[in-house]
Amino acid sequence: MSKDGTILAQKIRKSFGPKTVLKDINLDIASGEICCIIGPSGSGKSTILRCINGLETVDSGVLKVNGEDFGYYETAHAYHAHSPKKLAEQRTRVGMVFQSFNLFPNMTALENVMSGPVLVKGANKKESAKRAQELLASVGLAGFGDYYPAQLSGGQQQRVAIARSLAMDPEIMLFDEPTSALDPEKVGEVLAVMKDLAKKGMTMVVVTHEMGFAREVADSLIFMDDGYVVERGDAREVLSNPQEARTQAFLQQVL
Amino acid sequence: MVTATNKGKEATMSSIEAALKPRIRLRTPWEYTGWVLSILAGIGILVSVLTNPNFKWAVVAQYFTHESILRGLMLTIFLTLASMTLGTLLGLGLAIMRSSHVKPISIAANIYITLFRGTPVLVQLIFWFNISALYPNLTIGIPFTNIGTAIDMNALMAPITAALVGLTLNEAAYMAEIIRGGFSSVGKGQIEAADSLGMSAGTRMRKVIIPQAMPSIIPATGNQVIGMFKGTSLVSVLGVAELLQSAQLIYARTYETIPLLLVASLWYLVMTLLLSYPQSKLEQKYSRATSRLPRKAKKVVLTEPEGTLR
Repeated sequence: MSKDGTILAQKIRKSFGPKTVLKDINLDIASGEICCIIGPSGSGKSTILRCINGLETVDSGVLKVNGEDFGYYETAHAYHAHSPKKLAEQRTRVGMVFQSFNLFPNMTALENVMSGPVLVKGANKKESAKRAQELLASVGLAGFGDYYPAQLSGGQQQRVAIARSLAMDPEIMLFDEPTSALDPEKVGEVLAVMKDLAKKGMTMVVVTHEMGFAREVADSLIFMDDGYVVERGDAREVLSNPQEARTQAFLQQVL
Repeated sequence: MVTATNKGKEATMSSIEAALKPRIRLRTPWEYTGWVLSILAGIGILVSVLTNPNFKWAVVAQYFTHESILRGLMLTIFLTLASMTLGTLLGLGLAIMRSSHVKPISIAANIYITLFRGTPVLVQLIFWFNISALYPNLTIGIPFTNIGTAIDMNALMAPITAALVGLTLNEAAYMAEIIRGGFSSVGKGQIEAADSLGMSAGTRMRKVIIPQAMPSIIPATGNQVIGMFKGTSLVSVLGVAELLQSAQLIYARTYETIPLLLVASLWYLVMTLLLSYPQSKLEQKYSRATSRLPRKAKKVVLTEPEGTLR
C-alpha cells in the first residue's frame, strides 16, 4: 500500500434532507500537513471531516483520499459505490478521533487499542498486544492497559482513542473537536499527544476551537461558515491577519 | 414514648440536644389498618386451606413426586429450554433483519413480528397442529424440477413438534423486539468508531454491538424464560403430556381434580421461584450504575496524579 496521506476535495456538496450543509467545498491537503478547521457550529466543519472518513457520503463532487477516490470508483458517467470490503480497507488508512471518544466500553484500554489490528486486519494477538502497549506508552498511558474506559478520565480516554486509531497505521488522522468534551484541566494532555504526533509527519486534519493549538502546531488553517470555505491560508497568518470580514468577526469573538 | 409535639415545647424539648434527636417516621391510621386487615385475611385463608378437607393435601403429597408428574415436568423443562433457545436464535436473526437498511428485509421481519405478537399463542399452537389441513404434503425440492421429496404433514406435525414450532415461532417475535431494543441502546458513536476502524458488519455486530446490548437483553430474557415456563401449559390442549396434561390425565381417572391441579401449580411455583433468583441477581447486576464496568475490571489505583502530561 503506497504511502500518500493527501486529501483532495473539489466542489463537494452534501445535504441532510432539505438542509445543505456543504455547499462548495474545495480542499487540498498535502502529505504531512497539519490543517486546522475552525468555524461556528453548523458551518459544516464536522461534516466534511466525517465525509473524509466515510461516516457520511458526499452528494456530489470529487473526494480523493490517499490519492484515490474515496468510497466510490469513477466510470465515464458516474461514481459507483465501493463494496463494503473495499470501503473498510480505505477507512483503515484514515484514523478518526471523536469528540465523545467512543471507546468500546466492553474492552480494556489495551483491547481497545488492539481491536483494529486484531479484529480488522487479523493480526497476531501477541504482537498486537506488544504494539498496543508501546502505543499506550507513547500517549503517556503505560500501565493503564488493563483499565476499562469507565475507569479512566476523559483526557485518558481520549488518549486511548488516539492510540486506537494509530494502531491501524493510518496515513491520515482526523480529529473531530477532540478536546471539546474535556474538563479544561485535561485539555492540555490531549493536545500534548497531538503535538507529538504532528512532529512525526502524520497528515492531520483537526476540527477545533483551540486557537492556541492552531497557532502553535498547524501549518494551514481553514475557516468555514455556512457550508463554504471562507478563508484558508497559513495558520498564523490567518489568525493574526484575517482577510475576510466574516473571519475577522469570528476570531474577534473567540480570541 | 416521647411525644415531642408542638404543645410540649417548654418541657420536653431540652431532654436531648436538638441536633441528635432521632427523626420519627409518620405512621398514619391507614398503616395500622392495613396491618390488621392483612393479618386477618392471611390467617383466614390459611385456616381455610388447612381445614378444608377437599384440598386433600394427602393426595397432593402422594402425587407430588408421581412418576408421570415428574416425566411431565421434565417435558415442560425441555419445551421451555428448547423453545427459548430456538426462539432466541430466530429472534436474533429477526432483530438483525429488522435493523437492516434493505427495506424489504426489515419490512418482512416487521410483518412477522406483528403477526406473531398480534395473535394469541394458544391459537397459534392449534394452528400449527392443524397445518396439514392447509398443506397436506410438504415438498422439499428444487423449484421447476422433479427433484425433491414429499413429506406427509400429518406425520411431521406430531403434537410435540407442533408445540415446539408454535412456542418457538411465538417466542422469536418477542425475543426479536427485546434484542432490537438492546441493539438500539448501543450508542451511534460506538457504531461510528467501529466503522472508522474499518470493521466489517459481522465483526461490528459480534464484538461491539452484542456485548454492549447484553445488559439490557439478559434481564428481559430471564423474564421471558419464566413466562415461557408457565406458557408451556398451553400445549396441553394439543395432548402433549407436559406437566399440566400429566396432571389432567391422572384426575381424568381419579376425579381428584383440585389436588392434582395443586400438584401442577406447586411445581410451576417451585420452578418459577428457582428461576426468579438468578433472574433478580441478573437484574441487579445489570441495573447498577457501575454496570458499564465489566465484572472482571480491576479496581482503579492511581499511579500518577491525573493530568500530569500537561
